[in-house]
Amino acid sequence: MNSGIDLQGTFIESLTDMGISPGLAKTMWIPLPMTLVIIGATVGVLVVVWLERKISAAAQQRIGPEFAGPLGVLQPVADGLKLVFKEDIVPTKSDPILFTLGPILVVIPVFLSYLIIPFGQNLVITDLNVGIFIWISLSSIAPIGLLMSGYASNNKYSLLGGLRAAAQAISYEIPLALAVLAVVMMSNSLSTIDIVEQQSGYGILSWNIWRQPVGLLIFWIAALAECERLPFDLPEAEEELVAGYQTEYTGMKFGLFYIGSYVNLVLSSLVFAILYLGGWDFPIPLDRLASWLGTSEDTAWLQVVTASLGIIMTILKTYFLIFIAILMRWTVPRVRIDQLLDLGWKFLLPVALVNLLLTAALKLTFPMAFGG
Amino acid sequence: MFKFLQQVGDYAKGTVQAAKYIGQGLSVTFDHMQRRPVTVQYPYEKLIPSERFRGRIHFEFDKCISCEVCVRVCPINLPVVDWEFDRTSKKKKLNHYSIDFGVCIFCGNCVEYCPTNCLSMTEEYELSTYDRHDLNYDNVALGRLPYKVTQDPMVTPLRELAYLPKGVSDPHDLPAGAPRPGKFPQDIIEATKAQEDSEKDKAEAAQ
Repeated sequence: MNSGIDLQGTFIESLTDMGISPGLAKTMWIPLPMTLVIIGATVGVLVVVWLERKISAAAQQRIGPEFAGPLGVLQPVADGLKLVFKEDIVPTKSDPILFTLGPILVVIPVFLSYLIIPFGQNLVITDLNVGIFIWISLSSIAPIGLLMSGYASNNKYSLLGGLRAAAQAISYEIPLALAVLAVVMMSNSLSTIDIVEQQSGYGILSWNIWRQPVGLLIFWIAALAECERLPFDLPEAEEELVAGYQTEYTGMKFGLFYIGSYVNLVLSSLVFAILYLGGWDFPIPLDRLASWLGTSEDTAWLQVVTASLGIIMTILKTYFLIFIAILMRWTVPRVRIDQLLDLGWKFLLPVALVNLLLTAALKLTFPMAFGG
Repeated sequence: MFKFLQQVGDYAKGTVQAAKYIGQGLSVTFDHMQRRPVTVQYPYEKLIPSERFRGRIHFEFDKCISCEVCVRVCPINLPVVDWEFDRTSKKKKLNHYSIDFGVCIFCGNCVEYCPTNCLSMTEEYELSTYDRHDLNYDNVALGRLPYKVTQDPMVTPLRELAYLPKGVSDPHDLPAGAPRPGKFPQDIIEATKAQEDSEKDKAEAAQ
């Protein structure tokens, strides 16, 4: 297996050749992928907002945004600009510090989680050794922010929404972590790169969907709950709680919640694609295809093609999952809070545990197929 | 032990069923995505109001005999009829007439009961204003005729669902002369007349 393009290595090497110390060269490299990923995430949000509106419209036999740009692609930009220029109101009897801190605490962990999202062999900000678990631990910070904003708003709907969000996030984190753990057990590593690597080799046949069909469903349900997407959107249930913890927010503070929720959706879909759909892997094993065509794996053009194909594949898989999430939104009605907790604790948790045990047993019996 | 296993089995069955229903639901939503939008792109396209549409009320000043029947049949006595008795002609003389469409519920009672048919319903429904007092129409405003949707060059008129040919549910790109389902009133009258005539002929022949 070749390592593909190493942009970081080449960048640092070329800078050291120009007479800059390796440490300085590395410091100069670090902000580049960070800004790229932040820009990518923000643009991703704009795309998702547009898709959400368009697909929702199609599912309801409407047209959706049409006049802002071709096919209304500029509609999310217009929405965002409106939020930027809106007056920022802090309610009189609220707690102004917690009120401001809430949305910040919700958004930052979501963006931080992009640290470990790989788009290719070397296209990742950091290959941490705790890998996928930093995503799980960072996502458990968000409910604190939600609770904070719900409490600080000094509004019954906000408080209820915040409490619901916290209860939901806590109860769905456990099945989520257990589902991830089963995958981690198969790949013997927490690193996202290793997880994808372990799924490559036979193209679509070696992806984790075939080995973890139950874990995949548990992960998807728990991820939808973590993102507060529709079957589980009861923290902001507009018919009963106005807008939940967002009720008192306007302007850019509301915008932060809005961005946060969509970035979180993209992130969950990305993680799903990495854990179960083989990340940047093409459905047909590319290196075999290359050797079959008689080109060496180290050919420059082939490497560029595989790298760009990897990015495209990751994004395609992600947007496919987002499409399913949006379709789900118009298909499934909202669950009640007791049904939500029932599903989380009485169904997902035991099933996830059984799944984990089964994976362990299968790993011991068939070390070949389940990454012994 | 056996009971517990049965419980687990039932639960699993329920789960599978729920998953099946969600799958069916998803296929329905997915199918809807390929259908043509049913919406009307409002300021550019407008539906043609039906004949019995109850829109803004039209008033003909010269026909009014100031009988105030419209006021009596109105649920809230809304029309304001300002008249005085003209001693020379010994008739009521109407000075002003007004209806406040901010309060009117468009029930059509006044139109129904007006003895001289000076009140009638129009197809105008775009009544929004910046000030609610602008909705208080006086006899001049009430006397204006609405602009027809079919005559507006800026607007594509669309027929309502009941006025589309049989089996068609999309008003866009309809051939010009496509008739609506069912018979027109004049057709029904003709048909009944023809039937009556034939019955009469039969009766005469029998005699």
